[in-house]
Amino acid sequence: MPLREPRRVAVTGLGVVAPIGDSVEALCANLVAGRSGIRPLDIPLREALRSPIGASADFRGDAHFAVPRLRMLDRVSQMALVAAAQAVADANLNFGTENRDRCGVSVGSGMGGAETTDEGYHIIYAERSDRVKPYTVLTSMTNAAASWIGIDYGITGPNLTYSTACSSGAVAVGEAARRIQSGDVDVMLAGGAEAPLTFGVLRAWEAMRTIATPDAQDPSASCRPFARNRTGLVLGEGAAFVALEEWSHATARGARIHAQLTGYGLTTDAAHITRPTVEGQAAAMRAALRSAGLDHGAVDYVNAHGTATLQNDAVETAAIKEVFGARAYALPVSSTKSMHGHLLGAAGALEFVIAVASMERGIVPPTMHLELPDPACDLDYVPERARTGVRLNAVMSNSFAFGGTNAVLIAEARD
Amino acid sequence: MSTLETLQDILSDEFNLTRERVAPDAKLAALGVDSLDLLELMFKIEDRYRLAIRDDVPSDLTTVGDLVRFIDRLLAAQSKAPDSGGADRHAAP
Repeated sequence: MPLREPRRVAVTGLGVVAPIGDSVEALCANLVAGRSGIRPLDIPLREALRSPIGASADFRGDAHFAVPRLRMLDRVSQMALVAAAQAVADANLNFGTENRDRCGVSVGSGMGGAETTDEGYHIIYAERSDRVKPYTVLTSMTNAAASWIGIDYGITGPNLTYSTACSSGAVAVGEAARRIQSGDVDVMLAGGAEAPLTFGVLRAWEAMRTIATPDAQDPSASCRPFARNRTGLVLGEGAAFVALEEWSHATARGARIHAQLTGYGLTTDAAHITRPTVEGQAAAMRAALRSAGLDHGAVDYVNAHGTATLQNDAVETAAIKEVFGARAYALPVSSTKSMHGHLLGAAGALEFVIAVASMERGIVPPTMHLELPDPACDLDYVPERARTGVRLNAVMSNSFAFGGTNAVLIAEARD
Repeated sequence: MSTLETLQDILSDEFNLTRERVAPDAKLAALGVDSLDLLELMFKIEDRYRLAIRDDVPSDLTTVGDLVRFIDRLLAAQSKAPDSGGADRHAAP
């Protein structure tokens, strides 16, 4: 069923806690400036890591929550609550006057409360202590962030958590849009959150040989999507949320509308647990176009999944060519992961926010650190320099995942 | 320092409370201390007194005064059995 009919989905609020900005405004300024948030990590045991780099967010939980509350919130939930609050404030939503049974929460997260899990294992295995914190289950469970958001705003409709690895955030946003479209709800807070910058998580990713080698001269340039000298992904942390509303619900209360969410495509490779397929990715982009009722010629910008792994970038490039044909070469495609890193379960939500905010501002964010082109990656990746003063009517955001869940979102300008 | 004063120290830090509110007749629930908080609080109490709380925390601890009496009882039991291990059981091997 096309998302456009019969109930349209408006994006009325945006919120982010990201490695390159704790507000949408700051994030966009840094994207235009091509500023990377990837840096040497300051975490315990970093000397035992091959690649002690990451895109950490400039975020302190104690600046937002009092001590008793902090105990119950893993870093991932702290960031989710702050980003969701930004989206609520931006949308000027007051849940006190809403029918809260017709409001919901939809969150994507790959690893949930990873810091709590890491700390718990340290206590029981390294310290050989029995002092596991009583809140360990409640802070580490993957749905904790969604639950707290629901509790804070008294949202009594669906409270959902999606865990599809690196596409979790996009799935959470897309499924939320579907719930509004189907008529179950009128308002959804949807997004993603991830806080994976702990030793245990970083070590596990390193063991897969998917993490970038730090750039010796400039660690901030270590993530190089689509470049010949790309060496892998760099993990990042943060949260991004959108407030989604049924169109007439938004206009009736005079809400400012950032964009219309018109397309959502969801496919599964069903092939290999890590290796992506051109077919699966292309099918997801086509499904998104179909649900938006758009021809591929209508898309003006693609925020790529662009992880900077050898596999992904070549496969995604081929998939884009398959969907867009000859027009692929004239279509700006960029990977903002070159600046904010890979936020795993939050990536799809953050990049959808970036796509919407870019469309509103008429900017195309660049792929940074792309000085050496790869012959297998020959599209217009907007290398090194943002474009401004551009008219964008429709934007696509790609999210692909280990496990093979491909999710693609399309937003269109409001008029 | 009395047991009450020690509890006032810990609770005012951990729960953003004034020391005055941590009075003997104050209900723990009213101070924002629920059953899981109480379990975590026991770690702090163990550290402060070098105690090992081996038994389950009684479910009828409802006021600050109940908690004071519970700790005093443990301290009295420990002084009668000085080799009971104390907080050393938490040391790394």
